[in-house]
Amino acid sequence: MNVDLSVRLGRLTLNNPVLVASGTFGYVREMTRFLDVSRLGGVIPKTVTAQPRAGNPTPRTVETASGLLNAIGLDNDGIDHFLQHHLPYLRTLGTPIIANIAGENEDQFVSMAAQLAAETGLAAVELNVSCPNVSHGLDMGIDPTAVERLVGRVREACPYPIIAKLTPNVTDIVTIARAAASGGADAVSLVNTFRGMAIDWRKRRPILANDVGGLSGPAIKPLALRMVWEVARALPKCPIIGIGGIWTADDAMEFLVAGASAIQVGTATFADPGASARLLDSLPEKIASLGAGSVREIVGTLRSNRG
Amino acid sequence: MSEALAPACAAQRTVTILANEPVAKDTYKITLDDPMLASQITPGQFVMVRAGLGNDPLLGRPFALFDVVRDSTGTPVAVELVYLVLGRGTAELSRKRAGEPLPIWGPLGNGFSGPPVDGGDVGFVAGGIGFTPFLALGKWWRGTASYGAQGQHTGSLVSLARLYYGARSANLFAGLNDFAHAGLDVRTATDDGSLGHHGFVTDLLKADLQAGWRPSKLVGCGPAPMLKVLAGIAHQYQIPCDLSLENHMACGFGACFSCVTPIREPDGTTDLKRVCVEGPVFDSRCVVF
Repeated sequence: MNVDLSVRLGRLTLNNPVLVASGTFGYVREMTRFLDVSRLGGVIPKTVTAQPRAGNPTPRTVETASGLLNAIGLDNDGIDHFLQHHLPYLRTLGTPIIANIAGENEDQFVSMAAQLAAETGLAAVELNVSCPNVSHGLDMGIDPTAVERLVGRVREACPYPIIAKLTPNVTDIVTIARAAASGGADAVSLVNTFRGMAIDWRKRRPILANDVGGLSGPAIKPLALRMVWEVARALPKCPIIGIGGIWTADDAMEFLVAGASAIQVGTATFADPGASARLLDSLPEKIASLGAGSVREIVGTLRSNRG
Repeated sequence: MSEALAPACAAQRTVTILANEPVAKDTYKITLDDPMLASQITPGQFVMVRAGLGNDPLLGRPFALFDVVRDSTGTPVAVELVYLVLGRGTAELSRKRAGEPLPIWGPLGNGFSGPPVDGGDVGFVAGGIGFTPFLALGKWWRGTASYGAQGQHTGSLVSLARLYYGARSANLFAGLNDFAHAGLDVRTATDDGSLGHHGFVTDLLKADLQAGWRPSKLVGCGPAPMLKVLAGIAHQYQIPCDLSLENHMACGFGACFSCVTPIREPDGTTDLKRVCVEGPVFDSRCVVF
């Protein structure tokens, strides 16, 4: 089956649209037992922060109906460790590396982006302006003015393509996506987790040590699809990376026709470590079944029932 | 640090259930047709099992190796796991029948190390479903079975393996015949006095140590309060002790960072370690309770 899987997201070109979401793929080395990561369109290692962070106490995750609620709290060893220890390994994998960073404020984002700018071998930088589990950083992702200024400053500091990963915990996702695009984002990743909670009523306690967390997994796919579709309709020139409950090639096709140019497999990896590779295997046949010869031909081809 | 990884032979497969039978109250033994896993897995390692092909329940559940099944020529052909029905995932698993497919990935984690260098006696302390790793470990250390690529181990065999096995009530005990058949010396305790000692399982160990018994190694698996008492006993009598932790996991291979636990480093500092890839077996002196 000769289907062209390559996609373009602003200045970023990928061999195929299948990425894996930050925080669900470790630092990639954890995954090499289960799939050939070089086949993927790209990989996004776990979020790094300016300083090491211990993360939240346990329990950090709890399973809910077809979903996973997490409050890991950006447990990581900091960007210096990432650059010294993980990046040299990631460069050897033969797949595009999209570093994901989170700052506690704008200046931290910018200085981390400048550190990445001095490194070779990255394909792009994804800005996590949307982690629901840390006390700082979240507020930025819900303020369009702050998002636009942040993306603009990061672009000045870093020559790599910039992706803004947005929170769905806003009244109007289009406003935030538009701000990211105005700031110069090459693409927006839609969406990070939905704030939620799980409760043990017998103990009258939340189950997570952090009380609340971010919901991911198949449960959120309809919510994410709606947001991708809204942004795609309002901002047809803004490349979108769809995230939210994607497990199979059918899930991926739904996001692509809704308007995403690429997708990220996230929580499915925990339940099915080889999910992203199998999704990629099945994708050409799904695309061909629509009579298309490339991913690009099907992106955003959804037609409304309302005319 | 993040160098720790799942074992090189870890793999994801859909296997066929050979049997799934109750062995005690709310407790089942499931047998999986997987000669590859059976030839690789070692005592103390675990397997992630997803209770079906759908997405609810979503995640796998980690279960320790109970034992490996061998054919008449001694070739490993299947893996036995024993699990307690605690929530939706294990309830769904308990309804599976022989012949049904089951998604699994493993072997995972670092198993137990070999028997104590000088042989001697060893003491195993199990609380509740934490008994599951000790059948295979007992067989291995007593030299009656070998696991994985270890072949015949090089250390001295242990002369006596004594299992202190505690549970809430008599109807929760499983595998007692298996343990006896494997030559383990089993001492039981229950919270309600319905079998064996009425009280903590660690009381039994304490009494034996006070009477002068000196095992060369202690190993524990069970609830954190029991492990904490065991670690204290091991420290008091200066006996090396390994603990197998059972922290809540989402993935089992180091990607999700759910199962972290504070571990004391040689320099005295404490670091959060992922139980799935850096454990589940830790030296009791390093575990911070």
